Amino acid sequence: MNSNLPVQATVVTICPMTPDTSMVTLRTEVSHPVAASFLPGQFLELSIPGVGEIPISYCGLPSSDGSIELCIRHVGHVTTALKSVVTGAAVAVRGPFGRGFPLSRYAGQDLLLIAGGLGMAPLRSLLLALLKQRKAWGRLLVLYGAREIRALLFANELMELQSCGEIELQLTVDHREKCLDGPPGCRVALLPALLEHLVVDPERTCAAICGPPVVYPYLLTGLRQLGLSDKRIYLSLERRMKCGIGRCGHCAVGTLLCCVDGPVFSGAELAGVEGALV
Amino acid sequence: MKKLRLAIIGLTACSGCQLSLLNCEEELPGLLDLFEFHLFPMACSPALLEGEYDAALVEGCVSTPHERELLLELRKRSQYLIALGTCAVWGGVAALRNGEDREVLRQQVYGQSRIACETAEPQPLRSVVRVDAVINGCPPEKNELLGLLADLARGTLPAEIDYPVCTECRMRENLCLLTEGDKLCLGLLTSGGCKARCPSMAVPCEGCRGPVPEANLAEAMELYAQKGFDRITVLERLCRFYPEWKL
Amino acid sequence: MAARFISHDNLELLLERLRMYGNLHGPVRGDDGVVRFTALSPGTPPDLSAVRSLLPPKKYLLHPRETILTYTADAGYQLPSEENSPLILFGLHPCDLAGIQYLDRLFLGDDPDLLYTARRAALTLIGISCTPDDFCSCHRFATPLEAVSDLFLASVDGGYVVTSSSPRGYELLKGVQELLEEREIESPEDSRRFFGQAVSGPAFSELDATLPEWQELANHCLGCGACSLCCPTCACFDVLECGGLDGDSAVRVRRWDNCLFKSHAQVAGGMNFRKDRAERFRYRYRHKYRGFGPLRGFPACVGCGRCRVACPAGLDLRPLAERLEGAHHEQ
Repeated sequence: MNSNLPVQATVVTICPMTPDTSMVTLRTEVSHPVAASFLPGQFLELSIPGVGEIPISYCGLPSSDGSIELCIRHVGHVTTALKSVVTGAAVAVRGPFGRGFPLSRYAGQDLLLIAGGLGMAPLRSLLLALLKQRKAWGRLLVLYGAREIRALLFANELMELQSCGEIELQLTVDHREKCLDGPPGCRVALLPALLEHLVVDPERTCAAICGPPVVYPYLLTGLRQLGLSDKRIYLSLERRMKCGIGRCGHCAVGTLLCCVDGPVFSGAELAGVEGALV
Repeated sequence: MKKLRLAIIGLTACSGCQLSLLNCEEELPGLLDLFEFHLFPMACSPALLEGEYDAALVEGCVSTPHERELLLELRKRSQYLIALGTCAVWGGVAALRNGEDREVLRQQVYGQSRIACETAEPQPLRSVVRVDAVINGCPPEKNELLGLLADLARGTLPAEIDYPVCTECRMRENLCLLTEGDKLCLGLLTSGGCKARCPSMAVPCEGCRGPVPEANLAEAMELYAQKGFDRITVLERLCRFYPEWKL
Repeated sequence: MAARFISHDNLELLLERLRMYGNLHGPVRGDDGVVRFTALSPGTPPDLSAVRSLLPPKKYLLHPRETILTYTADAGYQLPSEENSPLILFGLHPCDLAGIQYLDRLFLGDDPDLLYTARRAALTLIGISCTPDDFCSCHRFATPLEAVSDLFLASVDGGYVVTSSSPRGYELLKGVQELLEEREIESPEDSRRFFGQAVSGPAFSELDATLPEWQELANHCLGCGACSLCCPTCACFDVLECGGLDGDSAVRVRRWDNCLFKSHAQVAGGMNFRKDRAERFRYRYRHKYRGFGPLRGFPACVGCGRCRVACPAGLDLRPLAERLEGAHHEQ
């Protein structure tokens, strides 16, 4: 296998989730590692022939039938072109790349998953993986914030998990649209505010964060105030990962390369690294 | 596949950009499979503005109220609007007036005689409408034009060029006409993409593709001064294709 | 010490003989005065007095712009196939040899780049000793890089001492045996200035962003990219997809990139992780003197001096590096 060479995949479904975000299901070769063996937090490179290639985090679980779930926001030129791609269209994928969330480190721990906006996508992958062995972990807390109610991703899925007692869930939106009733209990506040009254055991809690870069410093401060050490905090960084294998040079953060050293880093690894938390 | 409906029009300019497209003789027949050149007055008749367009390619700057109306109308009807060539992107030669007052120039050119149409300060398209992508150049490079069409056919747009002419000039291992040849070469400040067409023929860059993003004018002026070119000479050169260069 | 010696007079015959083994390229000074690596056809002698070529030999291994994938609806993405006839690069200075070794580490590692691998396999490297000028800094920094070649010509009185350091070099040496003579020669001064030492200095510490030098560099930088293009170890590339006019086929291209360009750290939606030029200079510095990713702690500067020579504004990271890293000065 050559990790420079994308394998063909087909678009199985493409379902709008919010006005600018879609859930895309692809199917590629059965048991190809790009679909069958990845860790939550890792990413793949998705190609639309003739348009380009972009890094996308996995949103689902490894599959044995070659299917891949991706949650995609239509903001760049490839993702915008993806909007007009139809079911059955040929795309291509390569991966998995990077270092994902360290599941083994989480064994027996309480887990705090904090997602902002599209950051829910990789954390959904993590959450699904954790739920597969629910007994291996303690509390599963999910804190999730989005711009507005209609931008909340997987809200129903999350609330269902909450109602059957699998997870504890807190939702928030930056501002509430007038005509929409939000999910019950959804607050109107910025994401870091959810940490303010949270009660966790800092000695047995690990946090996994994915969200827009701007909230990271605030979340880190909040988590430290809860007593979590930087070693217990894992963040996923978004950078321009073009090649995925540590060559093209675009995704460097300090002397770390996001595509091979990350994209998931512990807070301790990022301490003092210029440009990591902006 | 459904053919994309195109409008290709020229405002105030020399029509050279549209001609560059027509000069792609080898590729033109193939393009007809992908595109419907619905409005292309320079090449096809009849030329009626009607319905909606997948993309409008507009050459030239806006210098009359009529052109302004036409451009606004095209914007309304088009999913993508692309500025084609330096006049459309930056104002270009059509906007050149060496800092002279418009009225004085009008007197010099037309004297007391009446001009048939009303004119206004020539503007690049982006002063009037939202522009989705730009193709620089006077005229544009053939490969960039065809690249744009290939992108449009896939529902995407070309990326912005963020490097100057010098980049491709160095890639071609040319002698540096400024630092080594002591010539007034504008490559440092000029948007790349032309594969350093002129410097590769030992002709200094004239700046026809307009300013590169993040152009460091202050430092370049310093460098030009070291080479004996005064500020006015350099600015006059620069302003031929982008009248708004200022220190 | 017994050594194989070739006289200056025999050099032309050597080149003629080498042409039998493949395309022979070397540094040639053009009519415009620019030194470029190009074909050494009969009658085109290499310029062995030139200190440096404009572009380093990396252009043979990574083309400024090249197709890395082709796409058709039927076959999907395919790696391009390329015929690589044997190429002999003659007259490489130790810094350029070290530069190639750096690229080897980057592109031949665990997940080799096929284009690079094939080109590299077709390449024979013939090094030659040189006389550094004021722009060179090959002797100032310790780096684990070495100037590895197939054959090396070390300058001595009246000619060169020739040594081979690979099976391919040994074979070449045998092939040109009658041009060489065995001589007792004091071992020539080793102009290969790469000592294979580990990095010293605070290589993993972060850089002080408040140093005024960063802003100073940023103010003068013209963003032309010459420093990276001319650097033997700069290998950042941008990737572009170019659709064909049939609306179906496509090629994917990689193109030399530069960390001082605006788009280098920009992601979809416009967010730029290195918005200002001073930050980009720190990025460049880290990459050149500290290395990152798999080559972390591995300085990439081979001291060829090209960046300084090519920079229209005369910018130079070297004085800063000497201050920050604690340079090894020549004894």
